[in-house]
Amino acid sequence: MLPAECSRRLVAELRDALDSCAERQRQLEQSLRVSRRLLRVWEPAETPAPEPTLGPEINEEAPSSACPPSPQDLKELELLTQALEKAVRVRKGLSKAGEGVKVPSLKSGSASTATKASAPPSTSRCTGSRAPETKPPRGVHHPWVPAKDLPGHRLLLVGDGAHMGQGAGANKTEAGLRDQQIVPQAASQVPEAFTLKDKGALLRLPEAFRKAASQNARLWAQLSSMQTGDSADAAAAAATAKTQFLQKMQTAAGLPGSMLSTAEVGRLQKACSMLRLRMREELTQGFTQEARGYFTPLAGAWEKQPWVVSPVLAAVVEQPQGLWAEGAPRAALPCGGGADPVWSPQLLLYSSTQELQTLAALRLRVAMLDQQVHLEKVLMAELLPLLREQEPLGRPWLALCRAAHCLLCEGGQHFLTVLQDESADRLSPP
Amino acid sequence: MGRRRRRRPDPADAARALPEAIAALSRTLPAAPSPEIFRRAKFDRPEAAPALWRLLFRVLSPLPADGALASLALEAQARWVKSALRSQGYPRRALVQLPDEGSQGGRELLLALAWLLARGPLPERLLTQSHVRLGDEMPVCEALASPGLPAPGVEAEGCVDIRHLQWLTGKLRLRWRNLMAGQQEQCALLGKIHSYTRGCHSDRSLGHLSVTETELLRDPEGGRQLLQLLETENARLEAALEWRRRELVFWQWMDTVLDACSPEDSPPMFLPRIPEPEAGVAGLLARELQALQEELREAAEARRAAWQATVGGHGPEWRAARRALQAAVAQDLAALQRSWEQDEGRARPHGPHRLVRTEARVPGGPGLRAAEVTEALRAREACLEAVLCQLQGQCRQELARLAGARPGLIWVPPPTR
Repeated sequence: MLPAECSRRLVAELRDALDSCAERQRQLEQSLRVSRRLLRVWEPAETPAPEPTLGPEINEEAPSSACPPSPQDLKELELLTQALEKAVRVRKGLSKAGEGVKVPSLKSGSASTATKASAPPSTSRCTGSRAPETKPPRGVHHPWVPAKDLPGHRLLLVGDGAHMGQGAGANKTEAGLRDQQIVPQAASQVPEAFTLKDKGALLRLPEAFRKAASQNARLWAQLSSMQTGDSADAAAAAATAKTQFLQKMQTAAGLPGSMLSTAEVGRLQKACSMLRLRMREELTQGFTQEARGYFTPLAGAWEKQPWVVSPVLAAVVEQPQGLWAEGAPRAALPCGGGADPVWSPQLLLYSSTQELQTLAALRLRVAMLDQQVHLEKVLMAELLPLLREQEPLGRPWLALCRAAHCLLCEGGQHFLTVLQDESADRLSPP
Repeated sequence: MGRRRRRRPDPADAARALPEAIAALSRTLPAAPSPEIFRRAKFDRPEAAPALWRLLFRVLSPLPADGALASLALEAQARWVKSALRSQGYPRRALVQLPDEGSQGGRELLLALAWLLARGPLPERLLTQSHVRLGDEMPVCEALASPGLPAPGVEAEGCVDIRHLQWLTGKLRLRWRNLMAGQQEQCALLGKIHSYTRGCHSDRSLGHLSVTETELLRDPEGGRQLLQLLETENARLEAALEWRRRELVFWQWMDTVLDACSPEDSPPMFLPRIPEPEAGVAGLLARELQALQEELREAAEARRAAWQATVGGHGPEWRAARRALQAAVAQDLAALQRSWEQDEGRARPHGPHRLVRTEARVPGGPGLRAAEVTEALRAREACLEAVLCQLQGQCRQELARLAGARPGLIWVPPPTR
């Protein structure tokens, strides 16, 4: 058994590692859920929100070109939107009320069609894929239900500039909209189901969202430019005021000065790894090469290197007391030392799924290795002193040694065998 | 606040400037109290303290504010804030001495907030943290993200057997394997979604929709919520811009607040807790550097002795040889330093990038290419593997040394794969 303090620290470290893994897993599973659902057939009840985009923007590959809509079109769109919004409200009321509720007609002229559309909500949802027998339930559930009176069926999608709404107002507006060039996507079939694979290229983002997104980008750009290239008097004055304030705080202080920030720690860790690797290279070179025999001066020079043994670090190495706050949050170490405080849009371009998968796998592998290196250092720091201190008296020590070897040298995966020389007994099975 | 732009200086303006600056600050910080609280804090009014403790907690915690954190009792939040501030080097002891139950010290808390604001671009950083991500993001460099708060309820368990550690390690390995498998699937799905929605985005440089954007089309209710979040963020961004324009008057005011405080006594009477000298990442680092230095000294000694034996003696040739070597060393170190500085100076891309699927091979276009990132990651992978290997080798040596002290045992290493 390991001593209590040691146990606590090691278990805490491993738990930390497990928790961070679990958190990633949780996020990944959430993303997977969303992505899988998007690639399935979209439930009719969850179809894209009605959106009065201007002009017929249907295309498959061609860039959209919105021709200016006529006032007539706008008016009709307006009517449609209102009808649809009301339909949504009604649907909400319906789903609350349960099944079998008749759809109230929106306009007097189509009472018949409305009553026909009283298929219970559950059925319509279940028939996500084609159910050509049943009359398509009307717009309450299906914003793009083709009006049955039309020759052929037209399937209109978001952004196409019009929607087949409730059977009820649809007939009137249908006639008007027929003039517009609304290209039916599905030729003569009535696939009510929407799949991303087939019709994904026809989606369009809502106007309100687009506006908000572009304003967002604009504001971030403004903030970023304020951050970087600012030479305005106000900013300079503020900067001096801030420095003065900080100095005043420091001089009136009762506690010792600043400690290492996490960014500096990150940089020093990197320096450490670099030096270690360089040292390894040197030490493994044969000593026979004269040119490599300069280790002595190297050692001497290294001790005086200001860029590594910075004043702060010197303080760290010599006086570790009083500089660490207990329970200091072990914040994430940014990779280069300090992420950009102001967000800016950064793109990562990939060209094939294979490429993306390779990239993602590598990224995870690097993260895992990073964690492994950290854990290895922690384990070394805890277990090796224990083994050194204890007298190699008997089985307990041997067992500990063997287990430590497994953890430290084999990544916890393989065990070595210890054989006792004098007798036929074997201390531990392979 | 209104966007009145007064060109001519107006005395009434000056009086309005401070409240407007504070109001902008209050609008841009998350969960900030009303401007009135700030004013009351200057005069150390009791109602100001709890609000400011909560604000500091929200501002300092690295995790997004969700229910679990926000519901921590005020006392726990206060303790955590103190610890976090100390770890950042906050100089004023008076804050540490404030009672944990959070009813006092409005002025000290105001000073702490100002200190944080002065040290760096705090509102911008907070906004970046909570930025609404519209794209499918993939972080380019991976940081060991560990929870900043010590998990509550995981307390001292007493002694454990080393086999428990082995079990935990195995569990960790399994989790990583699952994670990697899941990640591969997610990439495949992303690839599909991106290619199916090609041509849909209004922004031509993006070309296709992201999962978030497609999802908002599938689920209008979710879309409305997303829109709301975006609009809130926009409001906060505008407030941040306004804050930057007006902040000078705030700093002038903070000077007066600092003056109103009584000066602190210089010798520290006591520190609330004696910190563990080897605590945390920095402690590990210190030990690592010390170990490296030791190793270097040992190796140097051995080499020096052998070298002197080989080359032998003194004399002009020896001195010349030594000078030549020193020159070579100086050159080498300079090269090392240059490559180090280069590494630092190079604007390495940080943080999450939005994934964009494209066939285009425009070399100079904006954005990182996956191939470049893959290459960089492979280099990093090799580096880490080397470090891990070396550490394991070190352990093997050490354990062999310890075991060798005990005669009569044969250590059979596991078969190499």
